[in-house]
Amino acid sequence: MSAPKKRNFHIEAFKHKVVVDPKYAEKTWKVLEHAINEIYNHNASGLSFEELYRNAYNMVLHKFGDKLYSGLVATLTMHLKEISKSIEAAQGGLFLEELDRKWTDHNKALRMIRDILMYMDRTYIPNTHKTPVHELGLNLWRDHIIHSSEIQTRLLTMLLELVQRERTGEVINRGLMRNVIKMLMDLGLSVYQEEFEKPFIEVSSNFYSLESQQFIECCDCGDYLKKAERRLNEEMERVSHYLIDRTESKITNVVENEMISNHMQRLIHMENSGLVSMLVDDKYEDLGRMYSLFHRVPDGLSSIRDVMTSHLRETGKQLVMDPERLKDPVDFVQRLLDKKDKYDNIISLALNNDKTFQNALNSSFEHFINLNSRSPEFISLFVDDKLRKGLKGVSEEDVEVILDKVMMLFRYLQEKDVFEKYYKQHLAKRLLSGKSISEDVERSMIVKLKTECGYQFTSKLEGMFTDMKTSQDTVQEFYANQAADTAESPVLAIQVLTTGSWPTQPSTPCNLPTEILEVCEKFRTYYLGKHTGRRLTWQTNMGTADLKATFGKGQKHELNVSTYQMCILMLFNNADRLTYREIEQATEIPASDLKRCLQSLACVKGKNVLRKEPMSKDIGEEDAFFFNDKFTSKFYKVKIGTVAAQKETEPENQETRQKVEEDRKPQIEAAIVRIMKSRRVLDHNNLVAEVTKQLQSRFMPNPVLIKKRIESLIEREFLERDKADRKLYRYLA
Amino acid sequence: MKKEDTVKLISAEGFEFVIDKNAAMVSQTIRNMLTSPGSFSETQHGVVRFPEISTPILEKICQYFYWSLQFASGKETEFYIEPELTLELMMAANYLHT
Repeated sequence: MSAPKKRNFHIEAFKHKVVVDPKYAEKTWKVLEHAINEIYNHNASGLSFEELYRNAYNMVLHKFGDKLYSGLVATLTMHLKEISKSIEAAQGGLFLEELDRKWTDHNKALRMIRDILMYMDRTYIPNTHKTPVHELGLNLWRDHIIHSSEIQTRLLTMLLELVQRERTGEVINRGLMRNVIKMLMDLGLSVYQEEFEKPFIEVSSNFYSLESQQFIECCDCGDYLKKAERRLNEEMERVSHYLIDRTESKITNVVENEMISNHMQRLIHMENSGLVSMLVDDKYEDLGRMYSLFHRVPDGLSSIRDVMTSHLRETGKQLVMDPERLKDPVDFVQRLLDKKDKYDNIISLALNNDKTFQNALNSSFEHFINLNSRSPEFISLFVDDKLRKGLKGVSEEDVEVILDKVMMLFRYLQEKDVFEKYYKQHLAKRLLSGKSISEDVERSMIVKLKTECGYQFTSKLEGMFTDMKTSQDTVQEFYANQAADTAESPVLAIQVLTTGSWPTQPSTPCNLPTEILEVCEKFRTYYLGKHTGRRLTWQTNMGTADLKATFGKGQKHELNVSTYQMCILMLFNNADRLTYREIEQATEIPASDLKRCLQSLACVKGKNVLRKEPMSKDIGEEDAFFFNDKFTSKFYKVKIGTVAAQKETEPENQETRQKVEEDRKPQIEAAIVRIMKSRRVLDHNNLVAEVTKQLQSRFMPNPVLIKKRIESLIEREFLERDKADRKLYRYLA
Repeated sequence: MKKEDTVKLISAEGFEFVIDKNAAMVSQTIRNMLTSPGSFSETQHGVVRFPEISTPILEKICQYFYWSLQFASGKETEFYIEPELTLELMMAANYLHT
């Protein structure tokens, strides 16, 4: 007993006396059979477990195992046949209940029988490879009850009917349902599958196919999705309440297939309620639902994505190509930002921040922003607008947020070099006219550009800031040194700009008034005295001036004007009436600029310090101008803007384009040489691809352009074509 | 000791041993008797008769039950069996599935 492997040795017999009574087996069996009957009749309390166990034990021990086993089978079969009859007799709804009750009884009886026949289970059955008692009982139940022709179909129809009734909203006895399903499961997975799962899936599939057809005819997309989601949840709930876990994936598959997959395209494209209108109306909830439902079926998300992308591209294209929008660049960019925000919100709130959708969004924006070749200019104008005035009363953090958003748009640009050109121009204007609201913000914008595109991209922009700083110092020094000489003359604020860094237009300087010319000359001598070998030219088209003027009734105003305007106004110190031609002669201001200046001096209401004859909106070459004695203004300081269009005019635009194209040539050439230097030999297509890759961060080089540059390099003997293969290029050191 | 926690084992000679239920349940057979879902007389009354086990053997068996409980908790001792009891004890063990 204490030996650990005590079960290994075989014990022959417990009883010493040899049973001689030939009726012994028969008699013992009768006792056991009687007991089994009593058990089935719920009458076991009078029975002694020990006695029954001992009898069964002895029977097995005395080699009557066969008799015991076959007797058991026969008795069980007999009882099950009775049970089957009583179940068959049950009417209507009682059928399942009867089945369930009998099943419980049978289970209990079976456990008792197994217990008293334990010794047979332990020794006889393993030796003869028969089915253990409990399993035997289940198998017999399966064969006689479940597979009984009467019961089988009735059971199935009852179960399916109950499910159907629950689907139509009735309350059913879920406990009973669960018990019956569990019975099928206890009888083995295959029984459950054959008797219930398969037909259940089939019926469900028909049901949902019909229902989805109805729904789709009468509901809009949002409602349909709601219904589909509810059905899906119902089925999952059903599974958790009374079905087997492994059925869940099958039944959800059915719902997904019938309700979603089959109607996917129709749902997405449904008019007035499909995906597009959800996007337009920001229906986060519906979109979220669509996402989570379509997520479940193959190709679901990609369908949403495709439609979203094409919708985005379409509306985006409309937006950037709309001639109305082109009139106001700030509004144009603001709309782009709004659109981006809108879709960012949709993706984060409804689409689970799905990376693939973010990518789709990005590629769509990239696509349509670059459809309009003026996008870089507009984005720069937008920044200009924000950094000029738009940020008054806005905290620096908010500015950062706006700038970050702009950077997002910037990232989409293919022609970053065009943006750089414009940004440089706009920045120059801001710096020179002192209209930039905060240097910190300006610098932070530069840092952003730097992290995005590298040092090269911003070096010139940074140079502009340096120039501003050194100019300030130089001017201070100048005045400190020349204090005595310059006390009487106008105060100059001079910015010395490095030629390469600033977007200067070659302009013929106008004739400055003598008072100013004098100081200018002094500065020039001072500056050149400090820095030998430099050239100083005056950019009179870029400066501003503050004038103090006294008007007719003696009221004084300070006029803030451009350098050109200052030159014109100074003429009126000596004359009351000047014709256009006289002004032109005296100042030598280029005609187009002159007209603009005069227009802003004479034609803007409230700022008309000059009077024009004849009174009209446009400046004619024959017009005459008078000093306007009657000028009044509420303010002491009057700022006179130039009627300069902020946005570039068409020819200007062309010009900038051309400049950009010019600038690209050396960049492309440099890239070609860089690549060929390391590769020595390369064929045409690969070279073009490499060049494109290298320059992508700045702009999208046109293959034709690259080809031209290659040809030019061949002419200049940097490269040569291979003698044998004309498509191969060789690098000539 | 509450009655529900004990069980009375009666030998062939009619000698009664009252022991803890959980000790008796060391025997798989007795466990089945006491826990079977149907209400056999043993389950109801907590009395088990063994008409084929003699008093000394049943006594030894009861001792073994308690020893086994201790042994199960990890205490290593030897359970002494008198040589003359060995055979009968083994047959009883087979019967009781211990």
